[in-house]
Amino acid sequence: MTHVFAVMYRDALIRRTSLMWLFFDMAVPLLYLLMFGVGFDKAVGMGIIINGSTVNYNEFFLAGVLSMSCFGSAINQSYGFFHDRETGIFYEFLTYPMTRGEFLLGKVLFQCLMSIIQVVITLTAAKFLLHIPLRFEQVPLTVVVVMVGIAGWFYALATGAFVIRRNDTFNTFLNVAYFILMFISSMFYPIESLPPWLRYIAYANPLTWHTDVLRYLTIGIGELATIGLEIGGFVIFLALSFYFAVRALKKAV
Amino acid sequence: MKTTAISVSHLVKEYHGKNEIPLRALDDISFDVQQGQIFGLLGPNGAGKSTAIKILTTLIPPTSGTVTVNGCNVVSQPLEVRKNICVVLQENAVDSFITVRQNFLTFGRFHGLTKMEIEMRVEHVVEMFGLREVLNQQAMELSGGMKRRLQVAKTFFVNTPIIFLDEATTGMDIHNKRATVAAIKEEARKGRTIVLTTHMLEEAEELCNAITILNHGKIIAGGTTGEVKKMGLQIFYLRLKFVEISKQLEEALKHLHPMKMEISNSAITMTVREHSAALQALSLSQTHGSLTDFEISTASLEDVFLQLIDGKKASVQP
Repeated sequence: MTHVFAVMYRDALIRRTSLMWLFFDMAVPLLYLLMFGVGFDKAVGMGIIINGSTVNYNEFFLAGVLSMSCFGSAINQSYGFFHDRETGIFYEFLTYPMTRGEFLLGKVLFQCLMSIIQVVITLTAAKFLLHIPLRFEQVPLTVVVVMVGIAGWFYALATGAFVIRRNDTFNTFLNVAYFILMFISSMFYPIESLPPWLRYIAYANPLTWHTDVLRYLTIGIGELATIGLEIGGFVIFLALSFYFAVRALKKAV
Repeated sequence: MKTTAISVSHLVKEYHGKNEIPLRALDDISFDVQQGQIFGLLGPNGAGKSTAIKILTTLIPPTSGTVTVNGCNVVSQPLEVRKNICVVLQENAVDSFITVRQNFLTFGRFHGLTKMEIEMRVEHVVEMFGLREVLNQQAMELSGGMKRRLQVAKTFFVNTPIIFLDEATTGMDIHNKRATVAAIKEEARKGRTIVLTTHMLEEAEELCNAITILNHGKIIAGGTTGEVKKMGLQIFYLRLKFVEISKQLEEALKHLHPMKMEISNSAITMTVREHSAALQALSLSQTHGSLTDFEISTASLEDVFLQLIDGKKASVQP
């Protein structure tokens, strides 16, 4: 574990050098919830019907915000590889006495630690500013699911960063992925309201699975059987992402 | 008894581009490096030096052949190999967002050093490489030469038995170059094995006990530095001084087909291939010129290198 901690220590030192970076890492989900969520909540007014229950938009969107922050954190973390590659330190890392898996694990664990703070801030604001009826007994599990989400997306995007060697191409890839995955998912609206062709894509989207699990844990909406399937799907997605990330890292030079 | 630190046997590396014939960067090369040796891997650009270093440091796998580093196979035991090595790559690889001190801290942690060990070693290398003034400065603010110093300094921060230095002194000023050369010699004396690539052949000649010269992915010469230089025993370097240099002398000397010839106001320096040509040049200088002084020596490593790499392109540079 020494090397995993060394990777985390290095990332912590780097993150500490930019307070703005640190602030946005912590505050973006909260800002999304307060600005976007509150605005939509007023616009939607009557609330959203999901699985036969009516909830207000803030309640519905909370899981989307948590899920979105996982995706955003993974984007930021995977972008770091381009800077490291430009300076050359990336290649030096690969000659350090650690496995490729330890390197990736360190990266993701650091981001997971950051996410605990993110989740606490977001859930506190949800409860006390927006009065969302949270399932507090599920908070520890929510944190775990957020961590799993970050890991899954980080490994998937890291694979992209290792395979796509150009910064600008990766940027385009991210924009497309961001657009498709976020808007064809249950993040912003219930997928039952989508046309069938879009609905099927959304069902196959890991971001939908992750958001649905988080929604179940935070406000208790969702069918247990479906949630179980979605957990299984996301764990497979995580395992495959990790496998491909390690594989791509081995060929990254 | 000497211990083999690195063994390379029939190493081949091919790069496969799309719809292209594979590019053979290394073509069946074999060599051994003994423990405590300073081994120079030399060659022109594109010779395959960096590819060889990348394979030896587990960055890329070989296409075929066997490579062991401290007894560990680079393909089947990459982690064990990495535990035995420390690498300075060609790029100025430093962690630019953090300070110089933090660069040492993270590097030490990656190599399993305790905080106390790190602090003690920082003091030592900072002094050695003149980094004290910039210790708390962000690495991104350093000049190219300073970044290189920091990168090389990290190598002397840990005790891995084998060090790889890819063009380590590039961009350094003369003072730091001397310090680095002295540090490399000291580490080898302690028993560390050092593999270096450099295009500065004087440096290689001063440092290396053994040399392998690559060209187009093949070994064209190898052995101890003395043995490689012996290949140039038939190469002579002459420095001739005159009161005045006549056109007649210039033409006569050119007829000896020198590998290299430079003429200034009152001196001619030339490199010739044969013993007889060296004597003829002296004789012509006396007959056709007002020779005041002369110097004659056998070839430097650079001359041998040029003869091996570029022998057919030997040129006269008036």
